Amino acid sequence: MDFIPHDDKTIAEMLNIIGVAKIEDLFKDVPKDLIINGLKLPEGLSEPDVLKNLQELGKKNKVYSNSFLGAGCYFHYIPTLVDFVISRSEFYTSYTPYQAEASQGYLQAIYEYQSIISRLTQMDVANASMYDGSTALAEAAIMASIITRKNQVIVLEGVHPEYIEVVKTYCWGQKIELKIVPEEKLEEELTQEVAAVLFQSPNFFGDIEDVLVLANKIKENASNCLVIQCMTDPTCLGVLKPPGETEVDIFVAEGQSFGISPSFGGPGLGIFATRKKFLRKIPGRLVGKTKEIDGGREGFLLTLQAREQHIRREKASSNICTNQALCSLSALVYLVSLGKTGLCEIATQNIQKAHYVKNKIKLIPGYEILNTRPTYNEFIVKCPNIDSLIEECKKFNLLPPLPLSKYYHEMKDVALVCVTESNSRESIEKFIKALELANNNKEGKM
Amino acid sequence: MDEKDSLIFDKGINKAQTNFIPSLDVECDALKNIIPSNLIREEVQIPDIPEVEIVRHFVKLSKINYGVDTGIYPLGSCTMKYNPKINEHIARITEFSQIHPLQEENEGALRLIHHISNILGEITGMEGFTLQPAAGAHGELVGLLIMKKFFETKGVLKNKIIVPDSAHGTNPASAKMAGFSIIELQSNENGEVPLDHLEFAMQQGDVAGIMLTNPNTLGVFDRQIKDITEIVHKYGGLCYYDGANLNPMLGICRPKDMGFDIVHLNLHKTFSTPHGGGGPGSGPVGVTKELIPFLPIPCIISTEKGIVCADENSRSIGRIKAFWGNFGIILRAYVYLLSLGAEGLKRVGQVAVLNANYLRIQLQKRYNLPYNRTCQHEFVLSDKDMPNEVTAEDIAKRLLDYGFYAPTIYFPLIVSGALMIEPTETESKNSLDNFIEVMNKIYNEAVNEPEILKKAPHNTPVGRLDAVSAARNPVLKD
Amino acid sequence: MVNIIEQEFPNELKYLQTHEWVRIQDNIATVGITDFAQHQLGDIVYVELPEIGITFDKGSNVAEIESVKAVGELVMPLSGKILEVNTDLADNPESVNSSPYGTGWMVKIEFSNKSEIDELLTVEAYKEIVEAEKE
Repeated sequence: MDFIPHDDKTIAEMLNIIGVAKIEDLFKDVPKDLIINGLKLPEGLSEPDVLKNLQELGKKNKVYSNSFLGAGCYFHYIPTLVDFVISRSEFYTSYTPYQAEASQGYLQAIYEYQSIISRLTQMDVANASMYDGSTALAEAAIMASIITRKNQVIVLEGVHPEYIEVVKTYCWGQKIELKIVPEEKLEEELTQEVAAVLFQSPNFFGDIEDVLVLANKIKENASNCLVIQCMTDPTCLGVLKPPGETEVDIFVAEGQSFGISPSFGGPGLGIFATRKKFLRKIPGRLVGKTKEIDGGREGFLLTLQAREQHIRREKASSNICTNQALCSLSALVYLVSLGKTGLCEIATQNIQKAHYVKNKIKLIPGYEILNTRPTYNEFIVKCPNIDSLIEECKKFNLLPPLPLSKYYHEMKDVALVCVTESNSRESIEKFIKALELANNNKEGKM
Repeated sequence: MDEKDSLIFDKGINKAQTNFIPSLDVECDALKNIIPSNLIREEVQIPDIPEVEIVRHFVKLSKINYGVDTGIYPLGSCTMKYNPKINEHIARITEFSQIHPLQEENEGALRLIHHISNILGEITGMEGFTLQPAAGAHGELVGLLIMKKFFETKGVLKNKIIVPDSAHGTNPASAKMAGFSIIELQSNENGEVPLDHLEFAMQQGDVAGIMLTNPNTLGVFDRQIKDITEIVHKYGGLCYYDGANLNPMLGICRPKDMGFDIVHLNLHKTFSTPHGGGGPGSGPVGVTKELIPFLPIPCIISTEKGIVCADENSRSIGRIKAFWGNFGIILRAYVYLLSLGAEGLKRVGQVAVLNANYLRIQLQKRYNLPYNRTCQHEFVLSDKDMPNEVTAEDIAKRLLDYGFYAPTIYFPLIVSGALMIEPTETESKNSLDNFIEVMNKIYNEAVNEPEILKKAPHNTPVGRLDAVSAARNPVLKD
Repeated sequence: MVNIIEQEFPNELKYLQTHEWVRIQDNIATVGITDFAQHQLGDIVYVELPEIGITFDKGSNVAEIESVKAVGELVMPLSGKILEVNTDLADNPESVNSSPYGTGWMVKIEFSNKSEIDELLTVEAYKEIVEAEKE
């Protein structure tokens, strides 16, 4: 394919005006020994041919009819309005809105996104986005370290294992000491030297924390320590208490559940929200509302840019530049499409369906639900024969739950099951059948 | 231009909107029996908004927003080229959009990541790639952490990074995030890196390496590039290539041959994926063979068993993002690469440079051009000598009145009152001539009616905004 | 371009090369940024001041001064303890622009080493530095 809108005559004309004989003359500053003799790549393909090529490749990925897999990436129903809006090329082909006057549309949309996240989380301020939940959590840890001037951070087990690894990498870069601690050992490990405690709720195993109790415990033991909550499926905020009401200082989440297709795990959306007192330390872009200099009309613009890398350079606390703006727009459209009624209903359906599945599982011998606390849409199950379970699920064209041994070698035969509003009754019945069959297989083997 | 719309929150009505909720087809329990009431929130304060109101709102907002599909985006170092629609179509196919990162049957996705790594390797000369980073700056952080790990493994303390004064702000910011401190080098009068200062800095013994973009932010190809990388290597340092300015070099020359050890690319610049108003992007990082062990996990590698994922590697810098990187963006770039092929990619580089030089020749007739030499994909004008003290900002704002987007202003810092212009290869001669005509008109206005420039823009939904109040008393939500 | 003569250079103050001014009374030093500095930065939007009671060495960065397009740092002219900070700047950061030597003051230090005062610049020496930077 060719996207270059010149013919040879035009190119010749332009070369003439520039005053060179051929295009190669424009590369005279490149040393001759660096000039390559073309690329060793195949010829380009036309649109129908490239489509065929990718369709063939796509066939090597399996699309299931229904999913029981979550673990940080979720299948939710995405309203058609989301794709309608983000397909408008004035949005998706636009640049970062530095020239505010020509970008009022997008700036207003980001302002609305910041506002809606604030309303949803009851936190004072949200930024325009981070790359994803994992890097948002890592940058929250760094922000806490800068604010408190301390360089120890505690992460509770129960944070998504991949998130923990990302936080570890970022902390290593900044010489921040990271301790991974089981929740019951938290009080022992909390000292006045700790900048922040990072935890996830609902956690990786599905448990909903009593965040207020946890936050108070942290503050009692280390008064200056920041409380940082992360979340991998924020649809739960349709029902669960928001971080703004539970003493959380910085809240981060993976916003993929808000209208973004799974897409093999990316792009996602790093939601980042905090309290007013930390406003000047927040990383990432912020859109503000203001008035014209002359004239009274209201408008939107990127503000507090003096925090960011293009001004602070090596004094910046974060290097983030391009973020996930179009994903913020997706999230905004998702949330307004549902509205308060829809959000509450979706969250309720997640809870009810997961609860329903749990109750069904409890009736199958050989299986044990391991969660002792309330859960949202994920929970962990000890299985008699997890390999068989996975096989049986696939036979029903169901994406099987995650075997936890992927991250925790010692947790063989434990599955992390996810049930959302997108799991039909029919798929649930097949899932239960798959569990039963897997159990029979185990017995057969004995 | 069209007018603004009120905030979406003003459009709520007192009626539940349930168009997007599936029916609840299982038996339910009372919520209080499942979740204790102290964990349950009060109603979310998000209005219920009718579907038609939502659609009209966003259509209205789109009409007061400028995109590449609207017109030219002459922004330097951004490479705002045309975003092919076939990329968008393929990204939405269920076989790519509805797959879970942790599912086992992912061979198509892994093959894609592996194949694009090979293609990017051919383009840059680099021997190993990670597609994990979500943006250019993220790639910079990865590259710098690789440097850090490389020296740590050798037991050598090198805690400084050299960055030229013309560098993009993310370079020093990324270096800091990786734990380095910065030595800033002043560019010489040709806009190039002075070799003697470079050698002096490297002689101190604690420099891990240099971060460079070539062509640099002045659009100038540093002719001494091989000398630069040789000097850095002589003193045991590594060379990092900021790929933001790779567009003119496609099919012409390669960072590896220039002597670079680590490269990041911006798929949302050079490789046509949409800018999205600020993302999502993707910033893959390529390295030489020696540095492959330090790449972040997971790595996609080719074995006799086929394409597999390797996530156990003690020399890796670790994980830098959950899952696989911005796959949806990687996919779009892959389609672009297959669409263009060898010849197509080479033409991109050639025509990007042709278009930039054409604009340069025409605009320098009136505007000040501090570095008057053949440029690559971009060049920088200055507002120095503008009549009536008209500034770069005035020119930029007046361009908006004519329905154009403005170039990058006040960057690079080494040119006072800079206007950095990069047309890209997807602008037609007509489009360029229109831009030149308007820039000429603006120049005449600067001579005869400067006030109209100083108060510009006049035709946009809002005029110049009070950024000072916005920063003193920030209003960041409704 | 502001004419150098129009800018203020109070004679009784001492200066730093990094554009801070210092007013010394007994063993207390009041510190702020100069007229030249505020002009370079533009409209000040926010000043982040240090905590009271902390001791810093001469040469440390103790405060950050933000405008819309830039960030400056306040450098300690003398080693000592922060006694007082100008809390009024939280609501009125523009004082740094309108009255850099008056209501725009930033910190008061109880300094520990009198000999460091000799290392500060006189108004004449500071004026020369500003002249040189203007070119």
